[in-house]
Amino acid sequence: MGWLRIEKRTNPSAKAVFGVSILSIFLAFFVIGFIFLGYGINPFKVYLELFIETVGNIYGITQIIWQSIPLLLCGVGLLLAFKASFWNIGAEGQLLMGAVAATWAALFSGLPDFLLIPAVFICGFIGGAVWGLLSTFLRARFRINEVITTLMMNYIAMNIVLYLIHGPWKGEEMRGFAYTNQFPKAAWLPTIGISDIHWPTLLIGLAAVAFVYLIISRTRLGYEVKVVGQSPKAARYAGISYFKTIFLVMIISGGFAGLAGAGEVCGVHHMLRHPDQVSLGYGYTGIIVAWLARGNPPAAILTSLLFGAIYAAGDVLQLSFGLPFQIVNVFTGLILFFLISSDTLVKYRISIQRREG
Amino acid sequence: MKKAVLLFVCLLFLFTGAICLEAQDKLKVGFIYVGPIGDMGWTNAHDNARKIVEKTFPWVETVYQEAVPEAKVEGVIDRMIRREQCDVVFTTSFGFWEGTVAAAKKYPDKIFAHCSGFMRAPNLANYMADFYQLYYLNGLMAGALTKSNKIGYVGAFPIPEVKRHIDAFTIGVKEVNPKAEVNVRWIEAWFDPAKAKEATNSLVDAGCDVFAFTEDSDTVVQVAAENGFPVFGHYSPMYNSAPDYVVSGQLVHWELFYLDFLSKVYSGYYTSKNLENVDYWGLLKEGSVEVGAKFGMTVNPKWKSRLGSTYDLVMKRIEQMKNPQVVFDPFTGPIYSRKGKMVVGSGERADYGHLLSIEYAVKGVVGAWPGEPK
Amino acid sequence: MWQLWVVETLRRALAYGTPLLLGTLGEIYTERSGILNLGVEGMMILGAFVGFITTFVTKNPWLGFLFGALVGGAASLIHGFLSINLRVTQVVSGLALTLFGLGLTGVLGRGWEGQPLKVSLSEFSVPFLNRIPILGDIVFTEQNMLVYIGLGLALLLWWLLFKTSWGITVRSVGEDPATADALGINVSLVRYGCTFIGGFLAGLGGAYLSIVYRPSWTQGMTAGMGWIVIALTIFSLWHPLIAVGGAYIFGSLFYLSFRLQPWVSPELLTIMPYLFTILAPILLNANRKLRRRMGAPGALGLPYSREEE
Repeated sequence: MGWLRIEKRTNPSAKAVFGVSILSIFLAFFVIGFIFLGYGINPFKVYLELFIETVGNIYGITQIIWQSIPLLLCGVGLLLAFKASFWNIGAEGQLLMGAVAATWAALFSGLPDFLLIPAVFICGFIGGAVWGLLSTFLRARFRINEVITTLMMNYIAMNIVLYLIHGPWKGEEMRGFAYTNQFPKAAWLPTIGISDIHWPTLLIGLAAVAFVYLIISRTRLGYEVKVVGQSPKAARYAGISYFKTIFLVMIISGGFAGLAGAGEVCGVHHMLRHPDQVSLGYGYTGIIVAWLARGNPPAAILTSLLFGAIYAAGDVLQLSFGLPFQIVNVFTGLILFFLISSDTLVKYRISIQRREG
Repeated sequence: MKKAVLLFVCLLFLFTGAICLEAQDKLKVGFIYVGPIGDMGWTNAHDNARKIVEKTFPWVETVYQEAVPEAKVEGVIDRMIRREQCDVVFTTSFGFWEGTVAAAKKYPDKIFAHCSGFMRAPNLANYMADFYQLYYLNGLMAGALTKSNKIGYVGAFPIPEVKRHIDAFTIGVKEVNPKAEVNVRWIEAWFDPAKAKEATNSLVDAGCDVFAFTEDSDTVVQVAAENGFPVFGHYSPMYNSAPDYVVSGQLVHWELFYLDFLSKVYSGYYTSKNLENVDYWGLLKEGSVEVGAKFGMTVNPKWKSRLGSTYDLVMKRIEQMKNPQVVFDPFTGPIYSRKGKMVVGSGERADYGHLLSIEYAVKGVVGAWPGEPK
Repeated sequence: MWQLWVVETLRRALAYGTPLLLGTLGEIYTERSGILNLGVEGMMILGAFVGFITTFVTKNPWLGFLFGALVGGAASLIHGFLSINLRVTQVVSGLALTLFGLGLTGVLGRGWEGQPLKVSLSEFSVPFLNRIPILGDIVFTEQNMLVYIGLGLALLLWWLLFKTSWGITVRSVGEDPATADALGINVSLVRYGCTFIGGFLAGLGGAYLSIVYRPSWTQGMTAGMGWIVIALTIFSLWHPLIAVGGAYIFGSLFYLSFRLQPWVSPELLTIMPYLFTILAPILLNANRKLRRRMGAPGALGLPYSREEE
């Protein structure tokens, strides 16, 4: 490590973080322009079209917002989990189980109409929280690493959904295809105008941001989370119960993902369908959304919108320019690489050290 | 001088005529796919048809988007119509119905067609091509070729479409070989080569020696060929994947529908007001589907002699089903489910509604059958 | 009768489990040195793609394996640079690698989809050894060369990790890099080396998929195998020999989820391999000696810098 000297910067300003992040995104755009050139497409035409189609018109903006709602909920919950150094890779499964619970509430609970919407959210939260707690329990009781349990529970959740839509919950109206019946209209979340933005979930997401922010900055739990995240040993010396903290964290993290699931099935699909359709990878992208927010809950709003925009951009690239649909992953990967690298510029001061003679 | 003026006027006329022809809208058509066009199945076939349409009709221009999640269909249609100025949109998956119906309402003067759907509107038609007759024909051949009397079938999802195909296949098998049985293994996916491979392996280990399947790749063909067993391709011409082992298969000509539909739109026969009753159901008679190892090869010549008299039976059945009166149908009673219930009466023919909602397994099917009625 | 079942199941499990085993062995080394690389899926699919086109063009599967593995290794070096020199959050760097690998191969591989591969590895039986009852039928009958390479590598890597001083070096860097550094070990070099091994083996596993297991190329063909590798790495307690068990048991359950369908509900069967991966550690945990080993390498995922410690 002789020639590169890296010193930790004491207090990276929010402005610096933001500025460097924007710069990284531009760099990613620049690099991906070469791929467009490789396809014989004028990169500037692409940039223009992307701008017009995503942020340049009201319709594009609504597309971004509704896709960022589940990202926000998953992301802000994961943010809390990561602060406690509990690597919850299972937001995808927690989202799906929340969707399952919400489906039960909407189709099979027999509740009166006016209770349905609160019920789906409550059930969604419980479904996701329970699913997350299973992994926590395995960690607490048997010391099994949470990366492996949360990851495997994702697959199990997917198969549970598949089982339900092919079997006991298959809807008679669906001509034998694997969907549940459509939810009763009382369980349909209202949307803003003719857009797809199901605003109750959006409000819940914003409330979640405020909630997590308050927890981290104002409560004892937040303090405990931070200590536990830095070092479980230090936590023990300070008299903090590691497992109690993790349990509470995962109830919140899993619960928020479950809320996202409830929002999706009640606000977008109005039924339960194939797991890959219910969640477009929101649980995994949520990890990135959480990380990019760098532990700052309000920032999750920005980062989830960023990814909503990336998804929207991917659609444009496909339709208007005929690029293969995997281009959106190249895009995301590049943006991440640049953001990560620039992270170093922000957190550390890098200087070239001349070798001493 | 007069000649020059005449020439000038002619050119002007031609010129404006050409512009008018240009201005007389190129028909802009959008295709929305549920999967990637690189698979060897459903989406790939639709995209091949799209390419044929573009080549055949110079007045058609197409755009497409692949791997579209069901929740995003409406958004994609919006973009196709607003930005790409599409006049016609095809949505190629059952799961797109919600978005298609909503879009049809939103854009009452644009034309939509939904594949494998059942909801219609003045500007929304349905279309579908089904394989059950082809599977029956393949079944005839499979029944004749099997030596162990165990035939393997790798199925995707236990939904009526696939069940209908397996049942038709088994009906064919039993007609030629009453002792044979069809072993089914489900992989719960439309495209998953690893699962298809291991499912086929498990069938090989269970003693099967002829194979058919519903999966969007040629994995089953590869595995069968590796083990030296005959196999029937699915959805794409898979002859080239194993020229010594692919006996026949199921093939589709989506372009037949697209060419017909689009020419009727272009000529004004179909408008955005009169599609309420337009429902294409393409079978052998219409030419929408074809039985074969590849286009133009009904039976692999290497296997013709092994089929013996069954070959003639197959040819006869093809003629019967292509007959405008459709003289033969595999689902002609008496047909019994494997639970012993009579599902099609003696001498009756299963109708369209019955075929679309098949949940039972016919006698001869062995294996798990999720959603089996009592 | 049941012996035949066991033989058939395990024989298939060896074929399916080989890419899992290769990937897990590599990730074990990476994580043993303290680097968490979640980019296995990306490296595997890069290996699958490059391996496929190399074999397609040169008609030589071994060149395909080599180049697939090298590309996987090269890709892992990106993660290595970001993790070791720039000290970024390793979870995200790995995810970025996965996304990028999936995307790049999906975009570049468009024209190669559906092309049949005419050359592959042939299966063969080892003459003497295949007469051993049961074991011979499983391991030494009708398997391809890479299965044996996988087994051999597991033994070799186990021996290196636990019986040589080089292995101690690797493990100490992962447990306590500060002390290792003080003892004069070049922490960065060891970590780079192990990361490369991880990428190399993941690429090799991916190449196996596209050249041997299913000779073809389709975008996304690894279908989540990289994630299973990550789980198996933890499951095997970062021990190469347990990894063998993990990979092959997972493969057996995967195969059985089809074989057992006539008797057990298919939905329940598909959950089996994943349930096993979670529940088996519970049983392992009951053993006190193993429980001591349950923890990850002490410094896993934490960037190390001399100035900071």
